[in-house]
Amino acid sequence: MKKTLALAGLMGLVAACGGPAASGRAPDPAKLTLVDRTATAAGPLDSATWLLDEEPGTLDLDVDGGTPNRTVLANVCERLLQTQPDMTVKPWLAEKVERPDPRTMVLHLRADATFHDGSPVTADDVVWSLKRHAGDGMDESDEFEDVESVAKSGERRVTIAFKKPNALFEQAIAGGAGIVFDREVVEKHGKEFGSPESPDACSGPYRLKEWKSGSHLTIERHDAYWNKDVKPLTKTVTFTWADETAMVNSLATGAADGAYLSDTGPAVALQGNQAVTVAFGPTTRVFVLLPTDRGALKDPRIRRALSLAVDRAGIVRSGFAGLARPWKVPVGAGAWSYEKQAFQAAYDGLAGAPDTPQVEEARKLVQEAGAPATPIVVATNGEQTRNVIANAVVDAAKKIGLTAQIKTVPAAEYGSFYTDKALRAQVDLVPDDWYITKADPIGFYDNGLTGSSNNWVGYSSPAYDKLVASALAATDPARRAKDVIELQRLFTADMVWISLAEVPNAVVLGGKVTGPPASQVHLGYPWAADLGRKG
Amino acid sequence: MIRKLAGLPATLLATSFVIFGAAYAAPGDPVTFLAGGKDNLSPEHIAAVRAQYHLDDPFVVQYGRWLGDAVTGDLGRSLQYNDQVGDLLAARLPSTLGLVAYSTVLFVVFGVGLGVLAAVRGGRVDAAVVAGTTFATSVPPFVVATALISLFGVQLGWFPVLGGGSLWHLTLPAVTLATGALAIISRVTRQAMIEQRELDHVTVARASGLSERLIVVRHVLRGALGPIVTMCGLVTAGMLAGTVVVETAFGISGVGSLLVHAINTHDFPVTQAVLLLMVAAYITVTTLVELLQPLIDPRTRRAA
Repeated sequence: MKKTLALAGLMGLVAACGGPAASGRAPDPAKLTLVDRTATAAGPLDSATWLLDEEPGTLDLDVDGGTPNRTVLANVCERLLQTQPDMTVKPWLAEKVERPDPRTMVLHLRADATFHDGSPVTADDVVWSLKRHAGDGMDESDEFEDVESVAKSGERRVTIAFKKPNALFEQAIAGGAGIVFDREVVEKHGKEFGSPESPDACSGPYRLKEWKSGSHLTIERHDAYWNKDVKPLTKTVTFTWADETAMVNSLATGAADGAYLSDTGPAVALQGNQAVTVAFGPTTRVFVLLPTDRGALKDPRIRRALSLAVDRAGIVRSGFAGLARPWKVPVGAGAWSYEKQAFQAAYDGLAGAPDTPQVEEARKLVQEAGAPATPIVVATNGEQTRNVIANAVVDAAKKIGLTAQIKTVPAAEYGSFYTDKALRAQVDLVPDDWYITKADPIGFYDNGLTGSSNNWVGYSSPAYDKLVASALAATDPARRAKDVIELQRLFTADMVWISLAEVPNAVVLGGKVTGPPASQVHLGYPWAADLGRKG
Repeated sequence: MIRKLAGLPATLLATSFVIFGAAYAAPGDPVTFLAGGKDNLSPEHIAAVRAQYHLDDPFVVQYGRWLGDAVTGDLGRSLQYNDQVGDLLAARLPSTLGLVAYSTVLFVVFGVGLGVLAAVRGGRVDAAVVAGTTFATSVPPFVVATALISLFGVQLGWFPVLGGGSLWHLTLPAVTLATGALAIISRVTRQAMIEQRELDHVTVARASGLSERLIVVRHVLRGALGPIVTMCGLVTAGMLAGTVVVETAFGISGVGSLLVHAINTHDFPVTQAVLLLMVAAYITVTTLVELLQPLIDPRTRRAA
């Protein structure tokens, strides 16, 4: 009987608490302030436990640049340039980048940088690493499409020749495409490089100490780090992984010190908890609707009408518990790493993607286009956010004289929309989230090019294509911003994709720690070096 | 016995074919997980990745390659994790086996104990045990997990809420896993004991003036042991395949969570290896139980 009573008591308790993931209040999206960094750390920290969504699959970012993999390696591997918490790019392993002409880039390497085994970072390592990144099937190979050749041109100089001008390449080498490996280490470990048995081959402020497959992964401060200006406060960071509920419980009980969140759920659950702080930072991540060329959505007027009629504020409230912002363009404000004011002004002036529905205007567009015979089919994978979006689309369609229905696709199959034409032919709209790792919107707008693999609706505009080429060639930021703003106008005027909500980057910190950036830069910037004891 | 052992490879071969076929036919495409990000899904990149992982080979060729490697002891390389499947399994097996062993101890000790108690005492004790265990079977494991975590992990802070490793870490997960099993075992024990008590030899023993305690231990419990052991074996074998929910709730990287992840990402080699391991473990455990039977119950030995 005792057992029954104890269990019954437990059940009552759970019912009373409502479970960890369901508690907490929804904050007001209008009051969501974004910061680049969390409060500066007061002092050193012996160790910290950090949570990831899942165990990294590999620590070779050329094989797989997944979010957990990048979050760990941002502290271990260094790039030629480095993105800062405010999303600007500054010299790093390359102390200077020269562009003698639009088709040539010369990298001047630092003399004092060393790998973790003490060997110097040489021009040969850089050339070898860039060629590795460019290899067939490698994760960053698409960044090298315009590259003609990479060659050593001096003791500490590497020259890159381009087939055509590419202004984005600096952003690329501040990301995964610019990681410099110790050639000897990578070659020595061959196929095993990046697996739990192999060491890292990098030069960063932390080195890989131990990866116990299925259990944890530890990085340790590299005391012989070449850059004396960087003084990491935390000695070791141990990574473990957990799903949403376990993540919330670990952070609430202090079993873990922090985590970068990829979903809004834990942030909502932890909002009211005094023991932790949640900070939000700039991001490029946006939830969008990708239209296909199956039927009604082929007509830009129908796309515009749907964009006008969909309730973005409602989606933000129900789908993201308020932890997002209604958004008009397909890239988040975190991409505005230059000419910020120009981008902001252009954004403010955009119409066609209102926070709250403009039903009358949308109806007129539908009447003009003529309502299609077959209903619009919107996809979901059954996940809450996508369900909310799919329902919002159905609701919007009904209000403007269209019909729409929802098709649920298994979660494991959802990604196949990008590769499987037959699957795509079954739906008209696919809600999904998108981010770019480069802090420059031009990194996104090539998706609208004629024939681009993500341009499912078959959008084709010679003016647009010309402008993408022009922007990619514009090494002057002000000129590039002008082109990008015009691209943004064209893209949203015809709603090649329909943008819905910007989801900020979120970092949760336990009571003892502070310091890391809140912006999306944790995928490439050594954030653990800023982590330390709270004052 | 020999025939049984010879049957194991045949069973595994047939199972491997079915699993491979199912994984191959399942909707979705591993390339979307292997390409690393949506902005990487250009036709050229996809073609390169497909070639790298031999994804375009016909089903029979893929299966043949897998089988050829498997018989030499090479279970292949995970698509998701850049690591040997053997290494992945070796790293995760201890957590899962520890969890199952711990919870087997719990449900055997408490399950048999409660069953005996209910059968011997009868009356209100019996009613309470039956009611309690009925309730325990009706609560799904994830609810038990949530309840245990919120009370003993979050509120009281007695147990860690995440991860495996030590006995301390495995206590709440093992209790969760044992709860449903405990109910089944206590009922089987109770039922078998009650049946035994009505048999002639027990009546004879009682008539000869033996103490009730001795009767229960020597005659009733011993006679009831057959079905109890069988059921304990089956439940344990089932647990080896059923730790998924508990592993997920407590964030334990065991074989169960490895399997779920592998299925979701179409990681053929891992799915194949984990499922085969589970099938082999199930067959082994049930065979062991069968071998144990004659030792417990002399009547089955004679019959055989």
